Amino acid sequence: MSEQTGKQLSKEEKDARFEAELLPVLDPLYNFAYRLTLDEDDANDLVQETYLKAYRFFDYFEQGTNAKAWLFRILKNSFINEFRKKSKQPAKVDYSEVEGYYNSDDVEGEGGVATTTDMRTESVQDLIGDEVASALNTLPVDFRTVIILCDLEGFTYEEMAKILDIPIGTVRSRLHRARNSLKEKLENYAKTMGYNS
Amino acid sequence: METKFTETYPNVSEEGRETDCEKVVNLLDLIIDGEASSDEQTFFKAHIEDCVTCFESHQKQRLMKSLVSGHLKRVLVPASLASSIKAKIQQTA
Repeated sequence: MSEQTGKQLSKEEKDARFEAELLPVLDPLYNFAYRLTLDEDDANDLVQETYLKAYRFFDYFEQGTNAKAWLFRILKNSFINEFRKKSKQPAKVDYSEVEGYYNSDDVEGEGGVATTTDMRTESVQDLIGDEVASALNTLPVDFRTVIILCDLEGFTYEEMAKILDIPIGTVRSRLHRARNSLKEKLENYAKTMGYNS
Repeated sequence: METKFTETYPNVSEEGRETDCEKVVNLLDLIIDGEASSDEQTFFKAHIEDCVTCFESHQKQRLMKSLVSGHLKRVLVPASLASSIKAKIQQTA
């Protein structure tokens, strides 16, 4: 395994290369894990598991290629294969726990957005961000995933197809449906804020 | 749900306004994501110059993308995560 194009890397060299190539992706990877699991501890576990798998298969990773897409793909597969089994309904169960974190009520909740947070301490930017997060978190995980990959992480359709193991046509149609769904939720929010959409 | 736009696009000028609007609706994602071909972009730009509805749909779609890309807060990575990953891989043979 340690034979690589005739040159043997010591464990120290391999570790150094691994850290240099893959650890810079930690921030987006953790954010992706968090958006999938909606739980900080689960995101933590998922990211650690992803890096350990990546380390095991690091000999197959071609240096200089798209490390971010490679790690996102491993993480997404781990999430589907193992993590989803653990919690039967991650989105619904865990959403209640994030509510506090985002400091806002359910978009369609009784008080609506009128009760959201304190204008003195939180900027309008943050308010919008909270609403977008709430709306996004209520989407099915497949929809949430394509929106995160495309709009937050800036992956191309081709990269998304590789990460998700689906044809580009499916990426497009899923993204389209996901955005329609998100739009509906955000339009409700816009209406309660007095905007005509 | 699947759009056949790319296959049918070359016949566009023969078709009526309604179909052009439908095509633009199917193109919106490609346009805002920078995935449209130059032919598709040309068609799109020409169409929204005349069509207010599609112009507004495009604005709305773009706004929504920017809400996610510009306003969704990133969560902070726990301080200990990087070091615990490093520790674990160092223990791995």
